[in-house]
Amino acid sequence: MRPESRAGLERAALVLYLAAVVALTSVHDSQVLAAALGLVLILAGRQALALMRRVLVSVGPFCALVSASYAVMMAPAGRFSADYLILVNLRVAALTALTLLVVQRIKLARALGFSRGLLFVVTLATSQALTLRRVVEDYRLALKSRTLVRLGLRDRYRHSAASAARLLSKALHQSGEIALAMRARGFFDDDAPR
Amino acid sequence: MHIPDGFIAPVVYLPAYAVASGAWVYAARRLRTILDERTLPFLAVMTATAFVLMMVAIPLPGGTTVHAAGIGLLAVLFGVWTTFLSVSLVLVLQALLLGAGGITALPVNALAMGLAGAAAARLAFAGLRGWDERAALFAAGALSVLVPALLIAVALGIQPLVAHAPDGTPRFFPFGLSVTLPAVLIPHLVVAVGEGVLTASAYRYLAALGGPRAA
Repeated sequence: MRPESRAGLERAALVLYLAAVVALTSVHDSQVLAAALGLVLILAGRQALALMRRVLVSVGPFCALVSASYAVMMAPAGRFSADYLILVNLRVAALTALTLLVVQRIKLARALGFSRGLLFVVTLATSQALTLRRVVEDYRLALKSRTLVRLGLRDRYRHSAASAARLLSKALHQSGEIALAMRARGFFDDDAPR
Repeated sequence: MHIPDGFIAPVVYLPAYAVASGAWVYAARRLRTILDERTLPFLAVMTATAFVLMMVAIPLPGGTTVHAAGIGLLAVLFGVWTTFLSVSLVLVLQALLLGAGGITALPVNALAMGLAGAAAARLAFAGLRGWDERAALFAAGALSVLVPALLIAVALGIQPLVAHAPDGTPRFFPFGLSVTLPAVLIPHLVVAVGEGVLTASAYRYLAALGGPRAA
């Protein structure tokens, strides 16, 4: 398939996904939401189990906390509704599974290709996040390798602050370097109307 | 702090999208006018920075840690609108790449954390800077946590009022304001103190490194 056609299909899928999100939050029937979740899992195919695992990891703790608090607070007052708990947990699971599946199947960068600037920001931010994450991790490991006993609160604050400052300093340097590299490669057209 | 998908009713998130979209367009136009060709790399790198700043641990008494938000620091250094755009993009990446937060909660999270949090930080810094810069930085960091926490507690707490079945059973988040306000705000008081200390310390380290000063 030609890249332009594929990008068009992915953009259409993104619009369909957004419509499905609004639909899933407008339906208040557990059976419909269960069917929607089932459909997402069927579409995931052999990755269905892995998808459900990711759903549980990303929203499971929040849902468990809300559900347990709801049961503890509402049951003594006689206002507990099992139907509500099923409805809200199915909705959260269906929405999260759908989002994760869409992200797996759609190349986000191509779907956002209608805006050169947005595409650029998302691609660059994603790649830079990996580089900058390494800076924070290096700082954490450097501290760990140089300390034998657990540091006090004051020293741990100083370490966190130094990491954040170094991160910002490196980010600003990177920003300038990238701007120069892009100019050198002709990304910015001086004659183009602004 | 941010809310996953499925707990916010369309009657809240659709108007929030309308407000946030206007703010995103305004912020993008403003950024384009105040910066030159460095706008795009600057915004991208700041987005990556905001994403990674949220991985920096804030130590709490007792040996535990929570994650920084970095919104106060970004707002003091780069202004409200750049922070708003960066935090919004981070929330999009977190929702779409990690399944954290959510696409329906995105405008509420973006307005609360990116816009209101940054504006509160900036106002606190501007108001107190003349008196004591360190106190101003502490207040900026603390308010950048407390104001979003308050707004998110309100957004969650109004769900049973705006979206419920005819018999009163909630359809989205089940608890009202009497539960969400203390449940969200009290733990965030401790986080706010940590974020305040981190903001003041990180700003001073950055100044010592020869980095940027407040915009």
